[in-house]
Amino acid sequence: MTQTHAIVLGEDRGDFMSRLRTMAARRPESRAVALLIVVTIAAWVAEPLALTAWEVTLGRIALIGLVALGLTAVILMGELDLSVASTLAVAGVVMASVDNLALGILAALAVGLVIGAANAFFVVVVGINSFIATLGMLFFLRGVAFVISDEEPVRLTNIEAGISFGKSFIGPLTPRMLLFILAFVVLQVFVTRVRVGREFYAVGGNRQAAFDAGIPVKRRIFTGFMISGFIAAGAGVINTLERTAADPTAGSTVLLSSFAAAIIGGVLLTGGRGSVLGTLLGATSLGILQVALTLSGVQIDVQNIVIGSVLFVAVITDPNTLRAVLRSGQSFLRGRRAATE
Amino acid sequence: MTNEATIDPATLTEPVESDSGVERQEFNLLRWFSERGIFVFSAALLLFAVIFVDGFASVANITDVFNRAAPIGIVAVGMTFVVISANYLDLSVVAQVATAAVVLIGVSNDHSIPLAMGLASVIALVYGMVNGIAVGVFKANAVIVTLSTTFIGLGLLRWFSGGSIYFGPNDGIIRSFGTTEIGPFPLAMLLLIVMTVLLSLVLTRTNFGFLVRSYGSNPAATRLAGINTAWVVIGAFVITALSAMIAGFALAAFSNTAVSAMATGYDFEALAAIIVGGTSVFGGRGSVMRTLLGVVFVSMLTNILVLSGWGFGLQQMAIGFLIVAAVSVDALARKATAS
Repeated sequence: MTQTHAIVLGEDRGDFMSRLRTMAARRPESRAVALLIVVTIAAWVAEPLALTAWEVTLGRIALIGLVALGLTAVILMGELDLSVASTLAVAGVVMASVDNLALGILAALAVGLVIGAANAFFVVVVGINSFIATLGMLFFLRGVAFVISDEEPVRLTNIEAGISFGKSFIGPLTPRMLLFILAFVVLQVFVTRVRVGREFYAVGGNRQAAFDAGIPVKRRIFTGFMISGFIAAGAGVINTLERTAADPTAGSTVLLSSFAAAIIGGVLLTGGRGSVLGTLLGATSLGILQVALTLSGVQIDVQNIVIGSVLFVAVITDPNTLRAVLRSGQSFLRGRRAATE
Repeated sequence: MTNEATIDPATLTEPVESDSGVERQEFNLLRWFSERGIFVFSAALLLFAVIFVDGFASVANITDVFNRAAPIGIVAVGMTFVVISANYLDLSVVAQVATAAVVLIGVSNDHSIPLAMGLASVIALVYGMVNGIAVGVFKANAVIVTLSTTFIGLGLLRWFSGGSIYFGPNDGIIRSFGTTEIGPFPLAMLLLIVMTVLLSLVLTRTNFGFLVRSYGSNPAATRLAGINTAWVVIGAFVITALSAMIAGFALAAFSNTAVSAMATGYDFEALAAIIVGGTSVFGGRGSVMRTLLGVVFVSMLTNILVLSGWGFGLQQMAIGFLIVAAVSVDALARKATAS
């Protein structure tokens, strides 16, 4: 009985602070939680309206977070999908160009899947680095959106549907928020409870080991990119419905905020670490931050500076990088000391 | 960006044992295309344009092509260093070029040109250092880092300038630099050629250039050889930032106006030029001279599309396609060599 006590893990021993420290070190979401606490307190003090008018804030979180959720699936595997911004625009334009609403939505979602598959094709089959492949795609698809739309916003033929889509559906929740919550729940269950989703972590953690263990790595990467493309297209559909028109230039700021949400949420860019919950927390803190800044009358330029800075800090304060920097700093100092002695 | 841990998914196949002559010929062809193809493509495109495109082969049009190519080219030859060091690209050149242009015209209107240039140089150094330290010391992903610095930089620029357009005086030195032409060559094009030669010497003849290439092809080995790799990365980003600044000056001189949105799309066009020129996005291999050729190719292509009446959307599609196609050839060639 006393023997087993020696191998009890950290959670059961020690005081509250050390337990907290262990948890913070183990969970990838710790940074997102920290930012969320800071932002919430700051908003509460400076602009309480951002918290009391929570329907507005929740709408903003859904706007930022939806694309980020899809992105999480790709980043978990150590890949990156920069094309989401243009996927959103293309899906919106395609949807508005089709007269029948239901057909348009289906076509837009199909376009998202095709784009995801095309990205995965370049990454898996051709063997291009996903940064460059999806960057080329981002540019190419922006052109496609311009060509389809004739470089002008496309109006939705069925405006009634769009207007009713923007209204609250259940209680104060609009369909956008409900879809966002649905996407979150589905993805959370997918990556934590479904075998295919759990294998995303294996692919991201050590691709060769995953391959050797019999995981169909290529198919998983295809799945990931298609999830990301599908969700980005879904976001484009929702945007188009709410605005009753599709803007071919849509999505230029989506890139910044969705990557910021995922990276603040602790999703490691090299893959294998992170969670959908973390992305949700990241999107929540960014949403509160944006609404609070807007309500305090801060210009959009300054908002971009703030969010850009948050992303910059988040990407360089990755726990792994910090440890590496600390180590190299220590060895540098040691070298100095050895040289002077 | 050192991701030694990730393994290219394309290589996860059973090893191919056959090494028949046909296959070898094929990969030789691909390798040749990815490295030397640009010479043939440029010549073919030039020939095509001269024969089939109305209005291409005129001095006025050629000068126009050069005028537009020069700033993008200056960005591209500088950014070649970042690409060769295996850090993909520097998206923040969009903000850097615009900042340099706005500072040059805005500050020289109220004060003096040397002060404006000095201030722009300081800003460029800050850009290079911030990007370089984040990527080199903190080992952060270059795409994400420069994405965030783009938004920070453009936000700061719009905040300080109020988003307004700056006009230079009609008889100033800046204006005369932008309008001087030697034959069909505007002065900015000569500047591009000088920069190319200079940076090419840096890349091929100096210790630093060697280290950039070495770091690009094998970061771990370079670090183990006792090289302070952080400085190599910082150096590559500083060179990019200084080139972007000079490009901003050239752009401001050409248009004699400056606004924060003037360099939109420079990141992609510069990247397209670098990749089409045969510099590998996988790092370690590339040349500044060929980037110059890539710039000529991309600018010529854009010009032909404009003359043929293709819209903005189709031009974007063409350049996006060009990037993906050129990288695909490079990747397939690598794969063929590896197996």
